[in-house]
Amino acid sequence: MGSARERGVAGDTFAKLLRGHASARGGRAAFRHKDLGLWQTWTWAQVYDETRALAAGLLALGLERGETLAIVGANRPRLYWSITAAQMVGAIPAPFYADAVADELATLLDHSRASVVVAQDQEQVDKILSTRDRLPGVRRILYDEPRGLDGADEPGLAPLEAVMAKGRAALRDGAIASDLDRRIDEGRGSDPSVILYTSGTTGRSKGVVLTAERCIAAARDTVAFDRLTDRDEVLAYLPLAWVGDHYLNYAQGYVAGFCMACPESADTAENDLREIGPTFHFAPPRVFEALLTRVQIRMEDAGAVKKWLYRRFMDVAKRWGEAIANGENVPVFARLAYAFGDLVIYAPLKNALGFSRIRVAYTAGEAIGSDLFAFYRSIGLNLKQLYGQTEAFLYVTAQADGAVRSDAVGPPAPHVELRIAPDGEVQFKSPGQFVGYFREPDKTAEALTEDGWVRTGDAGFFEPDGQLKIVDRARDVGRLAGGQLFAPKYIENKLKFFPNIREAVAIGDGRDFVAAMINIELASVGNWAERNAIAYASYQELAAHPRVAAMIEAHVDAVNLALSREPMMAGAQIRRFLILPKELDADDGELTRTQKVRRRFIAERYAPLIDGLYAGATEASIAAEITYEDGRKGKLSGTARIVDVLLHPKGAQARAA
Amino acid sequence: MIEAYDDILLAVDAVSLSFGGVRAISDVSFDIRRGEIRAIIGPNGAGKTSMLNVVNGFYHPQEGRITYRGRTRARMKPHEAAVQGIARTFQNVALFKGMTTLDNIMTGRSLKMRRGLVWQALRHGPALAEEIAHRRVCEEIIDFLEIEHIRKTPVGALPYGLQKRVELGRALAMEPTLLLLDEPMAGMNLEEKEDMSRFIVEARRLRGLTVALIEHDIGVVMDLSDRVLVLEYGRKIADGVPDDVKTDPRVIAAYLGVGR
Repeated sequence: MGSARERGVAGDTFAKLLRGHASARGGRAAFRHKDLGLWQTWTWAQVYDETRALAAGLLALGLERGETLAIVGANRPRLYWSITAAQMVGAIPAPFYADAVADELATLLDHSRASVVVAQDQEQVDKILSTRDRLPGVRRILYDEPRGLDGADEPGLAPLEAVMAKGRAALRDGAIASDLDRRIDEGRGSDPSVILYTSGTTGRSKGVVLTAERCIAAARDTVAFDRLTDRDEVLAYLPLAWVGDHYLNYAQGYVAGFCMACPESADTAENDLREIGPTFHFAPPRVFEALLTRVQIRMEDAGAVKKWLYRRFMDVAKRWGEAIANGENVPVFARLAYAFGDLVIYAPLKNALGFSRIRVAYTAGEAIGSDLFAFYRSIGLNLKQLYGQTEAFLYVTAQADGAVRSDAVGPPAPHVELRIAPDGEVQFKSPGQFVGYFREPDKTAEALTEDGWVRTGDAGFFEPDGQLKIVDRARDVGRLAGGQLFAPKYIENKLKFFPNIREAVAIGDGRDFVAAMINIELASVGNWAERNAIAYASYQELAAHPRVAAMIEAHVDAVNLALSREPMMAGAQIRRFLILPKELDADDGELTRTQKVRRRFIAERYAPLIDGLYAGATEASIAAEITYEDGRKGKLSGTARIVDVLLHPKGAQARAA
Repeated sequence: MIEAYDDILLAVDAVSLSFGGVRAISDVSFDIRRGEIRAIIGPNGAGKTSMLNVVNGFYHPQEGRITYRGRTRARMKPHEAAVQGIARTFQNVALFKGMTTLDNIMTGRSLKMRRGLVWQALRHGPALAEEIAHRRVCEEIIDFLEIEHIRKTPVGALPYGLQKRVELGRALAMEPTLLLLDEPMAGMNLEEKEDMSRFIVEARRLRGLTVALIEHDIGVVMDLSDRVLVLEYGRKIADGVPDDVKTDPRVIAAYLGVGR
């Protein structure tokens, strides 16, 4: 199996890859960014020049080899270039989540030992300045967007533009230019290439250190796997700090030489998607879900003819779409119907979603509902699943074209070795595998088995066709007091497949029965309320409405029925549930920045509600302390009605509707 | 045009305004200095909006004088105020609901368009160049107000807080000297108010604007303004820097409704 070194050192760092593209495809588009309503484009040759200017500027500021350069902000070309510029001079880039609150950011910046910070705008600069007394190591703060900062006078604060101008001027000196060339040449594949902080689903964030040669080796594998070329284009809208963005966009982009288009702002990403028409795309299940919800709401409000066409041809797609996509034998009449459906519904719909040109799309991070998955597959979107981790530099498993299913995440990705430990934990070795957690050797040791495999912390098993199925976090899998297996996430995911349910938390480990706390989806339940003339002023009021409770009860019943048919899970049906009077929010610590529920935290905060669920009460009250994004604290109190649900006998058939 | 008279941009001198027998404003004098943020506050019916309408020439007072840019003003029509560099927003958002955000903001440029209707309809040559230049100005405002995501959305479909922002955008597109804001933060939540305050302060700083605003949120007013004029029943009861106004017993009495 070829390691990165055997494949040649010509492209063993990102700086060398960039230099290669500048000469091999210097005139092709490398980056785009929409500014003042117009798409600006930079070619690979221009990006190489700009990045060199930035690197020379950073050297002039005294950035040393091995130091950490922090990057905080949204997807902006210059922030990506800052990553490469740091790599060029041998410093280690570390991108951070732009929506982290000041305190959280300061803790991580301090941990990363950042000496220079590249911040997108005033908002990020303000956060850093407000905690500067805790960050003695930060010598310089450079900002990309000057708005609101032109009058600011803080030590070490400067516009990125000025640093680049200085670098550009310095590079006119031949000695400095060749010194930079020498630094690029001296960059080794075994050098740390980036530190990616985990999102902290299971505790504090850890800094995952990845080396250049491993990053590039992994990206080369998947670029070949999905046949990506320099003709491809992506919308780079995923959080800069997330492994998904650094892998799918940055690493794959620099390996394949494709174009990364940066959205105008986070709010415009959907519009920008339509304008760019990417050929490769990633979105978490919840984004696909939100899009589908919106399509369905729009169709509810559409005219009779459109509605009929949509229903009629979505049925055709549901029946034949996947078979056609997988190249199976399909009768001629069905092909004709599908072709006509494509003309009137599927293609226009994909166009409206910005999916027209997509060759390969992935989703990951959470389980995806089979209906949701089938919807996109059936209208001709090549949507696949992968399973990954920051520690693997993303890919652990990936589904190949034509071998796709919704309830498993695929066989091992190219060159990945996978095994299931006796306790059910999934473990791997991968080409992109991390070298360790930054400044935490003990945590690194914990993450590895004695024989050098990486523990994922996820429980799973292989299906007969070789695809991996993930059940839950290994340590979250528990047992009811009666001994039945209880996999909370498995139950929660089944609940969340209903468009009316946004978030769910299942409780049951060590208890007599399973109970659930549910967050309704304001968009779809709100629309339903509107159509049924139910007035409400807030989430809280809608959540407390008896007809909403009845609707959710029907969903819980459907989940119980599905669970009753699975031998392993039949004992873990939901007996009681309540609708939370507050939306779970990352700012309040209830979700991670990647929108995963923090089960332990929620169990503590909502303890009074959980007590009510198990005490047989008919309602329960809560008074929770809320921390807003700017650090202020507030109180939220509410009361939730508790609903009892009938259980289905093991192996039950559907009750007459 | 010579701008350097002194630092008083607009002076209102002993102005009274009646509608039939109703006296909306009685003998009020105050001034607005160049570059300041000037707030007008007071209980409901105190004559704040009437005063704003006097300032922008919509109402002509029966008594008193208004001096703008060193020149005492004769009776005028509101569009003349616009020509003289006074732009305003309204208490109940006044936008073209069926038009997009961008088009609404573009209407703020109409006074600056020099090509006639026929040229504009042709959209060629100089008219096109002019439209591109105006579009750029509007795009900068869209960027400034962070409303890129609703550029092409009809404003009627927007939540109230965003409509207020679009209205501010249209006023800024006129590149005014004096910006009048009638309750720019009414009906907004805390976050929207903070955003709006930031836009007002930044607009003044970057564009050298003078701002006069009516606002009910006293916290916002005291944070934002350089000087505050307090009206009650059409009369001036206090005028000064926020700290003084805040502690003025007459203002406290007016707001709490005691001691009258």
